[in-house]
Amino acid sequence: MVKFGIEFVPREPYWKIIYYAIQAEKGGFSNLWITDHFNNRNVYVTLTAAAIYTNKITFGPGVTNPYLVNPVFTAQATATLNELAPGRVVLGIGAGDKTTLESVGVEMAKPLTAIQEAIDIFRKITSGESVAYKGEVFKIAGASFLFKPRGRIPVYVGAQGPKMLELAGKIGDGVLINACHPKDVEYAVNCVKEGIRQAHKKLDEVDVAAYTSFSVHEDLKKATKAAVPVVSFIVAGSPSILLERHGIDLKKADEIREALKANDWGKAFGAVTPGMIEAFSICGTPEMCIERIALLLKSGISQFVVGSPIGSNVREAIDLISEKIVPHFQV
Amino acid sequence: MVLDYRKLVTKIPVEKREIFSEKLVDFILTSKNDEKMPNQLANAMLYHWQHDLLKSESGMAVLLESALLLEPEKTFSALDELQMANITRQIKRQ
Repeated sequence: MVKFGIEFVPREPYWKIIYYAIQAEKGGFSNLWITDHFNNRNVYVTLTAAAIYTNKITFGPGVTNPYLVNPVFTAQATATLNELAPGRVVLGIGAGDKTTLESVGVEMAKPLTAIQEAIDIFRKITSGESVAYKGEVFKIAGASFLFKPRGRIPVYVGAQGPKMLELAGKIGDGVLINACHPKDVEYAVNCVKEGIRQAHKKLDEVDVAAYTSFSVHEDLKKATKAAVPVVSFIVAGSPSILLERHGIDLKKADEIREALKANDWGKAFGAVTPGMIEAFSICGTPEMCIERIALLLKSGISQFVVGSPIGSNVREAIDLISEKIVPHFQV
Repeated sequence: MVLDYRKLVTKIPVEKREIFSEKLVDFILTSKNDEKMPNQLANAMLYHWQHDLLKSESGMAVLLESALLLEPEKTFSALDELQMANITRQIKRQ
């Protein structure tokens, strides 16, 4: 049976995010993911509140990156969280967003190696080992915790490109596939499967999640209106090859990119086409969303993550998902 | 004089508590005046929500106090709409 996860961006104060997290837990979601960007509120502070005010939902950063946050610190933060909520903590880690990293002068060097090494360091130190590491990206002279970490923390790798997806299948306990369209998800799952095969693991040993941009409302227009801003940013950040795969006019994408750079929201959002919404979000009435999720399930995903914007009114959208969408997949 | 919200909510008819608490939660969560929310009230709201106590008298008191801080006009309108003008009057008197 597919699990449902939900993602929140801590741009809003902790008490709003945690209200929604409690609501999601009550509504049948099994995973909570909090994004990690330096320009929003801190992910671990938000997750600490989640640990205190929820009872059973599994949670973690979705996703942190090893460039801005050293894996030793990530290990310390998640291991401490695992004391607050034993067995409920997972780590989501990916290479990060190039533009965001560049804005703070951090280079995204050797992303595959960085992720592999970061996970290696994370696993060693959270299992109580003393770590001396001479990697290509990370060098640690000798580091260990002065406390005993409590249990193993599963690692999910956030991935989009074929090599990272394959690596995620190979070394991850889970994969967060950053895609919404059935074509993209199917392609991604096949890459993940190749990694799983290479590691001689079984498919069900890896939790494969589609991490989607999602918007639901009983009124299609309202669902679409909420999705447009998020889709405009996805289009602006997508490589040409991906846009072309979905038949998206590259000139239109450039127009959106330039308008966003100039903070001309009206122009950027106005240039978003129905084709872009179709390619980069799951958006519509509950019935339409059910149809799209069912298509993704055929690719072999085991977790469906409802990501931003969720809906024009987040509280109403969580209720809709809990009442109409989640039960549909639990029969 | 400090308003006793716990006492005030006892005046809300039981049959109106559900709809009123729903409205208050909506005002609080959609408010743009986040900075007006004291952390003690925020934590109390989360505690009551976690334990399904938002519709209890102590939960309603937390919601009413929060909504009045964040969205006073909307809260007064909701009280009037639900024919609880007596509570509006009492709040405004203090």
